[in-house]
This record gives sequence, C-alpha cells and structure tokens, in this order.
Amino acid sequence: MSSVFYYRELIRNLVLKDLKLKYRDSILGFLWSLANPLLLILVYSFVFGHLLPGGPPNLAYFLMVGILPWNFFAQSLMMSTSSIIDNGSLIRKVALPMEVFPLATVLFNLAQYLLALIVFFPMALLFFKVSVAWSWVAFVPVLVLHILFTIGMCFIFSTATVFYRDIRHFTEIFLMLLFWLTPIIYDIQAVSDSLRTVLYMNPLSYFILAYQDVLYHNVFLSVDRLIALLTLTFLSLGLGYSLFVFCKVRFAEEV
Amino acid sequence: MLGEIQVINVSKAFTIRHNKADSLKSKVIGIFHKRYREQRETLWALKGVSFNVSPGEVFGLVGRNGSGKSTLLKVIAGIYPPTQGKIQLPNGARMGAMIEIGVGFHPELTGKENIFLSASIHGLNRKEIEAIYGAVVEFSELDTFMDTPIKNYSSGMQARLGFALAVNLNPELLLIDEVLSVGDEAFQHKCMDQIDRFQAQGKTILFVSHSTDVVKDICDRVCVLEHGLPVYLGAPDQGVEQYHALLSGNHS
Repeated sequence: MSSVFYYRELIRNLVLKDLKLKYRDSILGFLWSLANPLLLILVYSFVFGHLLPGGPPNLAYFLMVGILPWNFFAQSLMMSTSSIIDNGSLIRKVALPMEVFPLATVLFNLAQYLLALIVFFPMALLFFKVSVAWSWVAFVPVLVLHILFTIGMCFIFSTATVFYRDIRHFTEIFLMLLFWLTPIIYDIQAVSDSLRTVLYMNPLSYFILAYQDVLYHNVFLSVDRLIALLTLTFLSLGLGYSLFVFCKVRFAEEV
Repeated sequence: MLGEIQVINVSKAFTIRHNKADSLKSKVIGIFHKRYREQRETLWALKGVSFNVSPGEVFGLVGRNGSGKSTLLKVIAGIYPPTQGKIQLPNGARMGAMIEIGVGFHPELTGKENIFLSASIHGLNRKEIEAIYGAVVEFSELDTFMDTPIKNYSSGMQARLGFALAVNLNPELLLIDEVLSVGDEAFQHKCMDQIDRFQAQGKTILFVSHSTDVVKDICDRVCVLEHGLPVYLGAPDQGVEQYHALLSGNHS
C-alpha cells in the first residue's frame, strides 16, 4: 500500500486525464454529468408524485438523497470492470502498483459525485423547502465509509473481469436488479415485511438508509446502523484488497 | 555505489491456452462439451538463466526471435513474476525500463499532458516531473508542439517525445528493449550518443538488440539465449559469433 501512496501523482493524473477527455470539446462540460441524475429525479418524481401517489413527502429531495450516491456506486462498479483490462498495454510494459487503476476509477466518479452535490444541494435548499440540520455533519463519515466500501467492491470486480470478461455484462444486469432492491426511490418502511427482509440482505441498502437518516430524516446514525456500515466496509475492503493482491501478479500475463 | 543485479536460476513458464475460456459462458459450455474445453500447454520461455551484472556494466542480451530476451527483461523489470528462481536488484535503485517508448501516451492529450502522465506512470512525483520537463522538451526539439494533441504528431515526433522522456527519467539502472529501431538515422544516432553518455556516467545498462554491430560496440559482456536457455555468457565478440552460428544453423 505504501507504493500506492508513492504513485499518488499517477492517480491524480489518471483522474485528470479521464475528466479532461470526458469533457474536452463539449460546450456544457461537466453539466452533462448532472443530466442523468436530474432526469431520473424528474421522471421518478412524476411517476410517484402523480401516477402512483403515496410516496415519501418532499419526494424530489428524497430521490436526490438516494440517487446521487447510487450513481457514484453504480458507475464506479461498472467502470471498474474495465479498469485493469483497458490498461493492459500499460501493465504489460511497466511495473507499477496496479491498485492505482481501480482507485483512480473510484476517485474519478467521486469527483463527479461531489460536483453533483455542490450543484444539487443549493438547489434543494432553494426549491425543495429543505433546511440545514445538525445531522448533516454525519454525512461526512457516511460518505467516507461509502467510498471505502465502493473501493473494496471495485477491487473485486476489476479482478474478476481480468479472468472472466463477461463479468462486465453481468455487472450491467446485476446493477439494474440491485437498483430496485435498494430503497432509493421508495421508503423502506412502505414495503411489506418479507420484501424488507430481502432489502436488508443487500449491503448497499445500509448505506442509502444512512444517507437518508442524516440528510432526509435529519437524525444522527443509530449505533446499530454505524456498526453495520463499519462491518460492511471492513469486509468489502478486506476481501477486495486480499483478492486483488493475491491475483495481481498474474494480471500482466492475463490482460 | 550501486550493487549488482543478480539473476539467480530464473525460469518462466507461460500457460498457453487453446480454446481459452475467458468468459464464464465458455467455461460452462466446456463442462458439457469436451470439444470446447480449454486445453492447456505449458511453455517454458526461460529455463534456469543465471548471471550477474556489475555496477556500471553494459550487458547485452542477444538471441533469435522468441528466445526469451524480452521475457527476461520483463522479469527483471518486475512485470512478470519468475516461475522459479529470483531476481536480486540493488537496494533503492531507480530502474528505468524502456520496454517500449511512449508508454501510456494518449492521442487526445497534448504533448505536455502526456509528459506528465507518462512520467507519473514511471513513478515520478510532480516536483520531479517539473524538474525534468524543460530537458525533455529540449531533447525532443518539439517545444512549439507542446500544446498540440499528439494525435496530430507524426510517428517520428511521437517517438522523439517518448525517447526524450525515457532518457530524462534519469534511472540508475536501464533496461532497453530494441527501442533504437524506431526513428530515422539522425534520431538513432542521437539515441546512441545518449547511451554512450549513460555509459560514461557509470550507469548499469541491460540491453536487448538484434543489431550485432551495436552490441559489439557498446556491450562489456553478452548473454546469448536460445529457447530460453543461456548458451553463451562472456565477451561480445564471441557472443555475436555464437549468435550468427545459431542463425545460420537455422537456415541449413
């Protein structure tokens, strides 16, 4: 891990490269990355506000609190499936700590997530009658744990795709299913007991619920919730990093 | 003073896969249909190679195509783990592996952006990159093109930028794989001058080449590889003779 710190300039340059390439020669630049969550929020607000009423109050804000972190997680995971194999030509020619690639993927998506927060939160304060609460300070630890959890998952998915290329397609479908099995666009209290049991088997639910606690319900995290987040983060990072380190010596021959 | 490079009984096996099952689908199909099952074959690219390279020595690796020269260079560079044996490198030496020049260059990025990206791929931090930036631009003679995306460079210009960066990474230990075969004669001449300069500075150089003239000219010692086995280790003149013998043996 110390060599990863030594290569921090590379991580920075990889993230900057991806950001530059994504938005170079486009007029609206990074505003494009806001289009996807904005459209999702509008569509679901319309569906649950008008076609299927009975959703949580202040629906658009509720959706925003869930969709932005979901997008960060889902896009990181999707991109991580190609983070090693797309850099195959590099890995075969230079000895470098390969952890930098999944890390750069997560940081690239984190940059977009934070930019989206900077734009969406003032909008929420202005238009959705949301007011600042003390519980919002707990957003920071939730975010940190969510980032670490995502890094662990990205280690697993980037490694798996090196050996089985169709993990990428699997991930795409898997994420679609996971989106509906995570309480992002509906309130977990509004579903039946049996479905709720299923939702609690999805690790990502705990993170989305934590975001909703501190930003939407304006309460601090309960001890149970915090323990759940810490355990999941620890497991994800521990398993992910061990798997990555165990397999990475073979990457140069497999990519 | 830098220690020596020790290559201790290094062997490297590659698994060649016929019908490579690189997707879950083909793996599952393979369970039911024998015809589609993955066939594995082990290829020994290196078989028990041992030698030491002293500090300040220029060491040549010669051999026919597929003899294992590049694989050995990659094992020493730490890109492939050796299957058996080990590589002992001097502690704390900065190693510059020029397996290919211009590694990590992205066509959409400008010359300047590519210098920063590629140098960081080789492990330099920002201060170190800023310190060598001027020298890289000067060596490449491309200062008017630094803000142009390199997709608009000619292939010769890209090679110049890549080599300019490679020589300025300023490693104590250089691994060079045939990079001299790119570029026009004037550029090759410049590269050779640079290698002479490295030699004069007392840097350790491991050099893979097919050009026997260059090998005779600059190497202190050579190792001749054939099918992954070291068949000769010693003076360049005899090494080149051995190599020619292998080549003519191949033709008869």
